[in-house]
Amino acid sequence: MSGNDGHFDEMTALLYLEGQLDTDRAHETAQHIAACASCRALVRGLERESDWLRESMAAEDEPIPARLAAIPGYNAAQWIWIAAFGLMAGGAYTLWNGMVEPWYAQAQQAGFTQGNILTMLFFSGAFWKGWDSMRSLMEFMAAATLGIVAVWLLRRRWRHFTAMAFVMSGLVLMLAAPSTAGAAEVRRGDPSFTLASGQEVNTDLIVAADRTEINGTVDGDLIVFSEMVTVNGHVKGDVIAFGRDLRMNGTVDGNVRSFNQSLTINGTVAKNVMSWAEDLVVAERSTVGGTLTAFDANAELDGRVGGDLLAFSGMTQVGGTLGRNVSIRGGRLRFGPDADVKGQIKFEGQAAPEIAAGAKLASAPVVTIRKRGPNYARAGYYWRQTMAWGASFIFGLVVLLLAPVFFGNVVHASDRVAPAIGLGVLFLFAIPIAAIFACVTIVGVGLGVAALLLYLIALYSTQVFVGSWIGEKLLGLRSGIGPALGRLALGLAILRGLRILPYVGWLATLVMLFWGLGALALALHKMSRTKAPAEVLVAH
Amino acid sequence: MDTRTTAGGMSETELAGLLTQVRAGDADAWGEVYRRYAPAIFRFCRRLLPAREDAEDATTEIFMKVRQKLDSYDSSRPFTAWLYKVASNHCWDTLRRRHIRQDLETGDVDDLPLEHPDPNQLQRLEAEHTSKEVRDGLAKLPDRARAALVLRYFADMSYEEIADTLGVRRQFVGVLLLRARHQLRDALGQSSVRSVAVGRKS
Repeated sequence: MSGNDGHFDEMTALLYLEGQLDTDRAHETAQHIAACASCRALVRGLERESDWLRESMAAEDEPIPARLAAIPGYNAAQWIWIAAFGLMAGGAYTLWNGMVEPWYAQAQQAGFTQGNILTMLFFSGAFWKGWDSMRSLMEFMAAATLGIVAVWLLRRRWRHFTAMAFVMSGLVLMLAAPSTAGAAEVRRGDPSFTLASGQEVNTDLIVAADRTEINGTVDGDLIVFSEMVTVNGHVKGDVIAFGRDLRMNGTVDGNVRSFNQSLTINGTVAKNVMSWAEDLVVAERSTVGGTLTAFDANAELDGRVGGDLLAFSGMTQVGGTLGRNVSIRGGRLRFGPDADVKGQIKFEGQAAPEIAAGAKLASAPVVTIRKRGPNYARAGYYWRQTMAWGASFIFGLVVLLLAPVFFGNVVHASDRVAPAIGLGVLFLFAIPIAAIFACVTIVGVGLGVAALLLYLIALYSTQVFVGSWIGEKLLGLRSGIGPALGRLALGLAILRGLRILPYVGWLATLVMLFWGLGALALALHKMSRTKAPAEVLVAH
Repeated sequence: MDTRTTAGGMSETELAGLLTQVRAGDADAWGEVYRRYAPAIFRFCRRLLPAREDAEDATTEIFMKVRQKLDSYDSSRPFTAWLYKVASNHCWDTLRRRHIRQDLETGDVDDLPLEHPDPNQLQRLEAEHTSKEVRDGLAKLPDRARAALVLRYFADMSYEEIADTLGVRRQFVGVLLLRARHQLRDALGQSSVRSVAVGRKS
């Protein structure tokens, strides 16, 4: 027996009290206690302390929260989440198509028209209709998400009238704001808009209509949302167009920025052209004075481009004159017999460019051939993958060290696989849509861009959280930074391995994005809830 | 006939019948089980986890796990003990996920404070502090010390179960408990010193 003067120590006393000593030792200790008053006092003291601890912990000091009145249990509840999202989104879509649109069409026929950009975007459909394939999905997601986010925010915070009032007045402002500020003329088609030949608009012109035809003159910029836009007249400023078809037959003194399904240039653009389109045609005898920047599936360039050509293009056919350097990334490139390129040509694509017999090229094209998809046979590919793994590991390490609680919360939230993936699906589509709306409406470009950047960071971070979750399932949970990093490293490696698998890799990436983003949203929501009382405290 | 009552305030036979119904998919029976045990489990989580919201979430999640795992519950063992085992594993996982610093694993008795507590001093400590103050003191302890005390004196777990939950050797549990008691005494002792000092100032 340890201790002084034959007395035992506190450890022995505790083990004796809790019945953890073996029989001999317990017997010995009992005998000593019977004889020794000081050791008896020690054991009694510890016993009293045990009782005191038990009582203090068992005290029913606070009521059971109302939230816990709901009975959890059937795990199917997780799948009900997804089903509910689906039903809600489906319902919203049906409502939209069945009621809002016909109602709006009726209202429009009766002569009610609105002129501001937000309502135009939401209701005129010109913006969406250009993207037929995307339309259903985007509307579906946007409507469902708006509803869910609103319900989600208001459910917990309905008392925060200030916040609500702020949001509501913001919405009212957006919807009711006078359609134009300053020097611009706003026209809404009924259903089409034509600026007749000989007519002149002295300021900027903003048009929303099914079909738009500009035969007259616009002194400022022309901003147009329309399914079909034809410019036969003269625009002295820039042309910015959202829609399906844009045909530029007239003259533009400024730049053309086009977000359309197809862009055809038959006339003259004095400055630069930037085009996002499926088909881009620069017709014979047309001229682009400055640089042509194109993102497209097919480009036919038969006219004259004075400046550089920069294209990300599936199929590019050059049949005209390109005045300066050419840089093209994409699938294929073909120079027709009338092609005349005065600058250097750089091409990165799947096959060597075809050059017809009569084509005049100032220098031989510099060509880089890229095979579609990753080249599994090359060591460099695996080296790049390893580097990418390293980068994601370092990113994860930084998050882990800076915000261990947040990190743990997100990994924990990943446990709720179904709700996380369900939420992730919504957020993956909702955030960019919201950000684009923020960019084009009065909310502001800054906020939109900031949101997009945060979104990209969040997307990148999904691998870290999902990876940690996988690592945790495989290695188990042990506390400490070492095991945490081990889990992260292993999980990230497995994820990367899954993602580079041929054919199914993209699916793994997609699931990872959904899952991680949803877990992030769940964890952030939980943390906002946790912090709410502190905010209230500070406010007072 | 077994008429011992369980922590839920039911006889063992009553509980066994209820659990059979739950296994058969009876939602009302499950509701009954939840209502009887949720308050205790919530309080348990409240003692173990630092934030109230965490305790609320944990309670819900624990019962979801219990519902899922009920088929694997061996009905010859006490239900409450099994319930606390599920709960403690869950809470400890939550704590560990967030806790990236390693706890000191050195568990030698040599590390323990050698001086014996003065039983009178212990008694004074008990007399001077309300149970609320004890709970506040408990919340200030390191995770593992707090967990050891809660598992032992709230959930009445055996040393083996505590060792298994916290991932330590069985022999180390006693050391952990004794050290935690010392840490709690220190925390309470300091707070009483501070309150005396504040009292003098004002």
